[in-house]
Amino acid sequence: MKKRIIKILSFVLIMSLLLSVFTACGSKKDDQGESSVADEEASDDITEQPEDSGEQKIIVSLNNEPDGIDPNITSNSFAAPFLANCFEGLVTVDENSELIPGLAEKWEISEDGKTYTFTLRAGLKWSDGSDLNAEDFVYSAERVLTPETTAEYVNMLSDYIVNAQEFFDGEVEFSEVGVEATDENTLVYTLNEPTPFFLDVLSMPVYAPVQKATIEANGDQWTLSPEAYVTDGPFKVIDMKMGESVTLAKNEHYYNADQVKIEEITFRYIKDDATALSAFQKGEIDCARNVPAADVPKLKAETNDLYTIPQYATTFYLINNSVAPFDDVNVRKALNLALDREAIIANVLQSEDMAASALVSPGYSVDGKDYADGRSDYDINPQGDVEEAKRLLAEAGYPDGEGFPTLELSYYTDEQVKLVVEAMAQMFKDNLGIEVNISNEEWAVYFENVKAGNYQVAAMGWGADYLHPMTFFPLFVSTDQLNNSFYGNEAYDSAVAASKVIQDPAEGIVAMREAEDILMADYPLIPLYHRSTNLLMNGRVKGWNLTPTNNFYFRNAYIEDSD
Amino acid sequence: MLKFAGKRVGMMIISLFIIILITFIMMHAVPGGPFTRERELPEKVEKALNEKYKLDDSLPEQFFDYIKGLVRFDLGPSFKYQGITVNDFIENGFPISAKLGGVTLVFILLSAIPLGIWSALKNGRWQDGAIMLIATLGVTIPSFIVATLLLYLFSYQLNIFPTYGLESWQSYVLPVLALGGYSMAFIARLMRSSLLEVMGQDYIRTARSKGLSETQVVVKHGLRNALIPVITILGPTVANLLTGSFVIEKIFAIPGMGVYFVDSVGQRDYTAIMGITVFYATFLLVMTFIVDLFYLMIDPRIKLD
Repeated sequence: MKKRIIKILSFVLIMSLLLSVFTACGSKKDDQGESSVADEEASDDITEQPEDSGEQKIIVSLNNEPDGIDPNITSNSFAAPFLANCFEGLVTVDENSELIPGLAEKWEISEDGKTYTFTLRAGLKWSDGSDLNAEDFVYSAERVLTPETTAEYVNMLSDYIVNAQEFFDGEVEFSEVGVEATDENTLVYTLNEPTPFFLDVLSMPVYAPVQKATIEANGDQWTLSPEAYVTDGPFKVIDMKMGESVTLAKNEHYYNADQVKIEEITFRYIKDDATALSAFQKGEIDCARNVPAADVPKLKAETNDLYTIPQYATTFYLINNSVAPFDDVNVRKALNLALDREAIIANVLQSEDMAASALVSPGYSVDGKDYADGRSDYDINPQGDVEEAKRLLAEAGYPDGEGFPTLELSYYTDEQVKLVVEAMAQMFKDNLGIEVNISNEEWAVYFENVKAGNYQVAAMGWGADYLHPMTFFPLFVSTDQLNNSFYGNEAYDSAVAASKVIQDPAEGIVAMREAEDILMADYPLIPLYHRSTNLLMNGRVKGWNLTPTNNFYFRNAYIEDSD
Repeated sequence: MLKFAGKRVGMMIISLFIIILITFIMMHAVPGGPFTRERELPEKVEKALNEKYKLDDSLPEQFFDYIKGLVRFDLGPSFKYQGITVNDFIENGFPISAKLGGVTLVFILLSAIPLGIWSALKNGRWQDGAIMLIATLGVTIPSFIVATLLLYLFSYQLNIFPTYGLESWQSYVLPVLALGGYSMAFIARLMRSSLLEVMGQDYIRTARSKGLSETQVVVKHGLRNALIPVITILGPTVANLLTGSFVIEKIFAIPGMGVYFVDSVGQRDYTAIMGITVFYATFLLVMTFIVDLFYLMIDPRIKLD
């Protein structure tokens, strides 16, 4: 009898032994990260008593981990906060989204608009203290254009630079590609066509230099440890904890290091936005990059810490232009006019988003005049025009929706998109008298179906890669890989091609507007709104900048003592 | 005993192989590939990626390659996270998940078993009613609701505990309650019903009539048998707790393994799906095996051959 009790006891003992082993594993990990835990405690203190501490340290929550932070490779929007602060290219943008010199001190553009000559600032250094010169840019370009690198933005180079595509395809040597360091501080890009928006493209992280030495020493592991991740921007990485946080510190070797006031930024992954919100409200973090959509209206009323920042982006619905009855422009226009975008934004999204009546978002301006100023609304007014929509549908042969096949409205699984889609379906039903069937799939499946044309009307959107209208136009060019609408119009294609090479920015706007007029006359999409993004930032943090292209800069940020 | 153990290990390897095969087939049967990113990749880049990760090989070849890696404990590179291997996920995430799970397990054992016993001994009285009411709530309310309520009340409103992470002992309190709530309630109910059943047996009456004190009857005769169902459930419970919970890790921003397990499926990160499944399956099989061994030791009536 006692023997059995001993057995039970031994079971419990062994269980607790197992446990202590696991616990030991865990504590070992803690020991390794001891210094950073101490740092976090220190920053907790400033959160509670900001006025007592002159420490320039902030904690920012992000709701997703990037798939990588190699500026040459990733196109992941979650990488933006790291790349914007750790890497700087030849040019960068200021708080007004104007292009300003970055590592380049100045540049010259040849008369034919095809040769860009950059002069680098003197004495540039990497974050490890070694010299940075024009050759580093050449190395970076060669790396991007090597297929094995799998650079997701390779098109941003191969579309414009002479022989870049040919090198990628293995047809020419790299020496023939139009990137050249003519001396230590001079870098020349030679382009296929005059490309007036090349400087905008050039501000993307894919053009940032990367350090050859660390990549050759560490291979694809170079982005995974603070020592190996050599940067050239205002910040460098001092701590990385997988799935948990990445801590940046001021890069003393940055050319403008004197102006960088923030000593440390901890990007903490908090994948649940509601948790981030309560952590922000309790002062545990200084910034919540993502705010639960449902809380935005309440926060707007209650706090000054909520910032709504218009993005250079358009949320639209793709129409499959190749299948009946959507191959009829009257049907497509009727769908466009049947929607009350204002009601969707005010009641469903409850946001500051702007009703859209065209593809290109406002936000790009030349001499103070926005691209979208004076643009036609293409009869798409924000409240919709039900009478006209009905008339158009009747003209297409479906009076009061009679005989119209059930409209398949699909979207990718997302709570907010679901609400919008349901509202749209109701409007189509009420205003056009047609039946609507809603369906959703997770993104990986959804996007494959869209590309294959297995849809009628499908939720989609475009966030600009760079701040120029030309980022939007390829989406409907008949030969472009990005065109998933099965729409093709030669007049539009050639108008886009023509406007691409116009060097004068003001004339460029005129030409691009003409191209957009051609596009919108066909109503190949349902533009819905130009979106904004929300974030919460503690009022004591000043000087930060989130650009319309989602770059989150802290190089001019500082913490203001409240007394 | 040794023969039994050898046989079981053999069975485990076969089960594991079947699990790997089924996961592999199902994973590739689901539409959507690993390189469908938020932004469409240029075709040539996708081609280069397929080459890099050998997705152009035939499925049997890919499967064979995977098994070859697996026997060397190489779970392969993640298809999503550049430069990161699936081994990295487990090496980084498992200790964190296991630490939280371990603390939770201790909490469950120390609370559920005494509560269940107490409830059984006070059968029909108010103590029993109160404990069972809480236990029923614990079993029926999903953990994400428990977690959200706890966060709102104890972190946001009362400001007693931190909101996220596992940096201090205080930060363990809420995740442990949310993670362990269900198992605690379940085991307390199981303990109660099992003890009640045992206490109605003839041999308990015999023990009582021998003149043993009630404590001796319960501890020596009742508990030992009543614990068997509880031990049965402990195998999968331990595996579940230690390998991490998606919901709890997400809500409390704990960088464990649970989040990767679920995210990898949505992202079609093939190697991560495989690797984490294999890890979890192995863990579960081993735990079940250990539990079976304990049956043998505790109850001589149980024969496992």
